[in-house]
Amino acid sequence: MKRLIVLLGLLVGLVLMGLADETIVIRYAHWNALPPDPYNYVKAFEEKYPNIKVEFIQIPEAEYSQKLRTMALAGNAPDVLCLWEADLADFARAGWIIPLDEYVKQSKELSLDDFIPAVKKLMELQGHLYGLPWCFATEIMYYNKDLFDKAGVPYPNENWTWKDFEEAAKKLIVIKDGKVVQYGCDALSFQGLWYSLIGTFGDKIVDEQGRFAIGEGARKFLNWWYDLTNKYKVVASPQISTSGVVSADLFMAGKAAMAFNGSWMTSVYKDITDFSWDVAPIPKGVRQYSTLHTGFFAINAKSKVKDAAWKFIEFCMSEEGQKLINTAYSNPSARLSILKKGYYKVEGPKGPRNWSAIEKTAEFAEWGYTLLPPGLTFDLVKDFNAAILGQISVDDVIKRAIEKAKDILGEDRVVVQ
Amino acid sequence: MGKRKNVIAYLFVSPWIIGFILFTGGPILAVILLSFCKWDLIAPPRWVGLENYIKMFRSESEFWMVLKFTLFYTLLSVIVSVGWALFTALLLNQKVKGVRVFSFFYFVPAVVPMIALTFAFQLIFNKELGVVNYLLTLIRIRNTPNWLMDPNYVTWLVAVLNIYTFYTGQMMLIFDSALKEVPKELYEAAEIDGAGPLTRFFRITLPTISPILLFNLVTATINSLSASFTLIYPLTGGGPGKVTQAISLDIYYNAFKTFRLGYASAEAVILFCISAVVSLLMFILSKKWVYYEV
Repeated sequence: MKRLIVLLGLLVGLVLMGLADETIVIRYAHWNALPPDPYNYVKAFEEKYPNIKVEFIQIPEAEYSQKLRTMALAGNAPDVLCLWEADLADFARAGWIIPLDEYVKQSKELSLDDFIPAVKKLMELQGHLYGLPWCFATEIMYYNKDLFDKAGVPYPNENWTWKDFEEAAKKLIVIKDGKVVQYGCDALSFQGLWYSLIGTFGDKIVDEQGRFAIGEGARKFLNWWYDLTNKYKVVASPQISTSGVVSADLFMAGKAAMAFNGSWMTSVYKDITDFSWDVAPIPKGVRQYSTLHTGFFAINAKSKVKDAAWKFIEFCMSEEGQKLINTAYSNPSARLSILKKGYYKVEGPKGPRNWSAIEKTAEFAEWGYTLLPPGLTFDLVKDFNAAILGQISVDDVIKRAIEKAKDILGEDRVVVQ
Repeated sequence: MGKRKNVIAYLFVSPWIIGFILFTGGPILAVILLSFCKWDLIAPPRWVGLENYIKMFRSESEFWMVLKFTLFYTLLSVIVSVGWALFTALLLNQKVKGVRVFSFFYFVPAVVPMIALTFAFQLIFNKELGVVNYLLTLIRIRNTPNWLMDPNYVTWLVAVLNIYTFYTGQMMLIFDSALKEVPKELYEAAEIDGAGPLTRFFRITLPTISPILLFNLVTATINSLSASFTLIYPLTGGGPGKVTQAISLDIYYNAFKTFRLGYASAEAVILFCISAVVSLLMFILSKKWVYYEV
């Protein structure tokens, strides 16, 4: 009997020891590869929490959305997902992710008031806080300082309106032998810019109820942009872009004095050595508007290690984690206190210097079109381009856009502005 | 003993049969079923009957534009790619020095990744910085075209650029080996009878390689219909507007960018039917011009 008790005691001891040593494994998916040392935030987390191991799953960007959906459908989605804006709403609606409100409330590290305004707005739209932005990017204006100096045109600033832009663009073109050899502004290459610029003309793009809302603003913008391209020839003709990447960048080639693009292009343009350049917010129309881009850290509702998953998200959103992420990807933090510290600023020899343009844009920018399926918004851009090329009338483009949106989103999720 | 042999034979072919059921037959069946459903990859598929097909064939549907381009592209790209493959294969069968070097150069574009190739073409045909327009300015043409954004040029261009795809290179190799099999004595006899190069080509070469020509025509047609995605998606993305939106591209956009899996499946079923009908027609018509040596 005694032997049996000793044996049982030993067994219980072993089990307890095993439990004490147990390492929790969380699965985490992202479209980007993990950055190398010393910016590997996953490694930094594991060092800080040795009892939690992160199994990283990289899913190529082109199939990210559908892969996560099929994983969720099959019930084997990762514990921590970094979801795109349009997917966040769908995943929340399907009950595949959990609200993070309580976690944030109890967190000593995070406070909702410390986030850029768009985060709170999205929370109001969706009823709960389903995700935290891992960092953010926005859409801004780029300008060639040397070409501005040469033409004697003052640099753009945060108070610029579209009138200032048009006047400057007209002064910045150079014509030789009847052919434009230098444009005031490059054509819009990244698809999202169409929505940012239309937004400044008054359309809500996505309204308070999450409905797609375009109309009069789009009509005014497209007609004006058509004139700038074809009548005044100060904006270059549209060219093919694959997923927002163009093979020939007129701004980078020094053949366009201004360009609109994502803030992520600062990490590409920083290698420019031929001319000085800088950034400014998108000019004002009837209002200031730009689009925000991000991925949201979210927790799988079926995860068995939700607390450990939250610990990982909390670490990534802490100053320690954000510093690593911001520096590795040259993208600013959505936390205002960390954004001010500017860990994302990677300057080149010729620019940029005016980083406040990105910070100011973050104050008014919205998630906008990114909350809608990319198949709809990117497809409409092909028609916008066709309108600028005079292949379809602007009115037809707007009509088709609204019909298509109704077809894809449903009648109740579309508003004509 | 006979039964045992049969079982063994079936065991040997079973990996292929299982693979076919799981990875080809099963998905085909699933696509047919899904084409009668509405599914956004979130809520479970919902049966909607013929709704997807009705939507597709409405008079105002964009599908007509997509179908028109797909048929135009298929016809032109088959003519261009098969014609080019046969032409280069004929060149490789000429008795000239350095024919192996030519063979290398003809085949190289076929092995260059399509993404790299399409980016190069985007640069070459760029309105402002492209080499084609630069050459045009040298001959005093001021209003140079915006090649990839002008519907008048881009549809022709994407079809012609097919000569750089992998399957054109592959067809060239198949034609090359077929040409080497044409009996030399036929040419010698024709030459004695006074037949010129054109007569020799149409009366001897073409009839002899006609089975291979049929094979290449069928594979090129199926490739143009279904695999056009790899060329068009990175080159034009289907634009401007919808002028280069082939069905394969439309299926991708509807399935994975707007998550309308049901509608995309219905398009896939239609594409399958078109491929089957066109291939069948080719086989029927081939009886009149394909020469099988007995």
